[in-house]
Amino acid sequence: MNMKKFAALLLAALMVLTLAACGAASSSAAGAASGAAVTDDPQTTEEAAALYAKLMDQENALLSENTDLWDKVYLQANKGMAMVEDGKNYGDFLLDTIEAAKSEFSAEELEVLTKAAGEIRDIENQLTALEEKFPDCQQAYMNGGASVSPEEGSLQKFPAFEGKDLDGNTVNSDDLFSANAVTVVNFWFTACKPCVGELSDLDALNRELAEKGGALIGINTTTLNGDEASIAEAKEVLAKKGASYQNVYFDASGAAGAFIQNIFAYPTTYVVDRSGNIVGDPIMGAITEKNQAEALQKLIDQALAADAG
Amino acid sequence: MDNKNSCRASLLLARFRGWVQAGAALLTNLHLPNFFRGRLYQGAGKAVCVPGLNCYSCPAASGACPIGAFQAVVGSSKFRFSYYITGTLILLGVLLGRFICGFLCPFGWFQELLHKLPTKKLSTRKLRPLTYLKYAVLLVMVVLLPALTVNEVGMGDPFFCKYLCPQGVLEGAIPLSLTNAGIRAALGTLFTRKLSILLTVAVLSVVFYRPFCKWLCPLGAFYALLNKVSLFQMQVDPNKCISCGKCAKACQMDVDITKTPNHTECIRCGMCVRACPTHAVAFRYGFGNGRQNTTETTMED
Repeated sequence: MNMKKFAALLLAALMVLTLAACGAASSSAAGAASGAAVTDDPQTTEEAAALYAKLMDQENALLSENTDLWDKVYLQANKGMAMVEDGKNYGDFLLDTIEAAKSEFSAEELEVLTKAAGEIRDIENQLTALEEKFPDCQQAYMNGGASVSPEEGSLQKFPAFEGKDLDGNTVNSDDLFSANAVTVVNFWFTACKPCVGELSDLDALNRELAEKGGALIGINTTTLNGDEASIAEAKEVLAKKGASYQNVYFDASGAAGAFIQNIFAYPTTYVVDRSGNIVGDPIMGAITEKNQAEALQKLIDQALAADAG
Repeated sequence: MDNKNSCRASLLLARFRGWVQAGAALLTNLHLPNFFRGRLYQGAGKAVCVPGLNCYSCPAASGACPIGAFQAVVGSSKFRFSYYITGTLILLGVLLGRFICGFLCPFGWFQELLHKLPTKKLSTRKLRPLTYLKYAVLLVMVVLLPALTVNEVGMGDPFFCKYLCPQGVLEGAIPLSLTNAGIRAALGTLFTRKLSILLTVAVLSVVFYRPFCKWLCPLGAFYALLNKVSLFQMQVDPNKCISCGKCAKACQMDVDITKTPNHTECIRCGMCVRACPTHAVAFRYGFGNGRQNTTETTMED
């Protein structure tokens, strides 16, 4: 009698699980299908993510066409002539920068750059519209990037942020990443014991990186939006652990804030290269574990080698 | 409502317990697609404790584990004690007592399902002293160690979650590491040790009935302490009872319901209700104790 009931229960549990599996499978199938034929009028987040991926690819293709020219443009931008304001179109920013530095380029080069920047502006406008309509599509694009866009060559950007360090100095992600051959970004929060446990190790790593033209920053997730009490607490813990590297906070509503929503293992450590691309997979768990420290070092070396070469 | 209705309701509840358990396990873990995404639900529901032992880090979990949450608060540098979670536990304990173990706890259900595997079953009657172990687990691993063994910043470890809880491995570590390469890379000796605890509990569950609930569960220990004052109780109608002893024989938690209707080990599973040939045993809900004359009390009181 019990066996019968047990069988029924198992069957029920199995059916529920199969239903869930069907849901997940069909939605990813839809994602793959829309990846093959990207529609310009997406209905679902998956389709939006696919379109997003396509647009991003177009933009990246534009930027990688005349790399040396663009590098020259970036160089001008780094001199602080025109900063990306929060929410400002990246294409507009490029156009402004090109305009401000037009003496550096020949007429021909200017034409190429302006045309590409104009196209980027249009793409950015479409991306913004997509993000407004499907707030999750950027995240979906980033998570499902592998299945939607080709595995090779589609680099994942670390989400841009504009914030402050715990001492109140302004920090801009583009400036930060482009100034360092490699940037290690450690996500933590004050009540997380393993996070706090690795702070001194991270400080040592930061000093080591500084010699190689890299840097390590911390992002304490409880300090987002500049919560005063949390900042004071974080500073106290950092001081107690003798960690002097820069810790940054920003607005939780931005792209980087949304990025944090999907981190559920703490600490999580990302390695970012000079162009702001994430290198490899994030390290989950404290680097006080030997194999985790080794995995992180591998990613750092990879980024440094790529930057040197 | 008369006594007959109360009897019928008790019998129904006891008979459909498996379905209630399945439903409760599903409600506690609503976000099933997360199993395939390898992510956790982190919405507003996670600010609330579920009644049973259900890991916060289960991808599908709709709420927080009360034992895990308690240790997290007690072990943090800011607080020494968690009034919110203790209050929630006392409320649940008073409203339902170990009915939660019998009907709502997903890990209790898991052990029961394993116990249904057709093998030789062993009695735990002679192992009764072990039932006191769970109070030690509650006091030492959940309350004292997280609050007292702290690092230089004043933080403690959630000792029970970290070193003992098999539910965390079953619901958290295993599904997450299957779908998430980052988590997989972080697995170490601690995982191996806890996986062997889970396997031991699983194997024991096949031969013994609910070994983890009886001997180790700190949440069960907490509800056990409140079982005597809980509004959900058992009652035995002395006028109907023929002292046949079938209820005591049916009881898998080694309780003689006719002598101690509100025993700390009674998980209100209702096996005695179903075993009683004269329908003398029933659930009751309300004030008073289970031994009093039953003519006026009903399930819905």
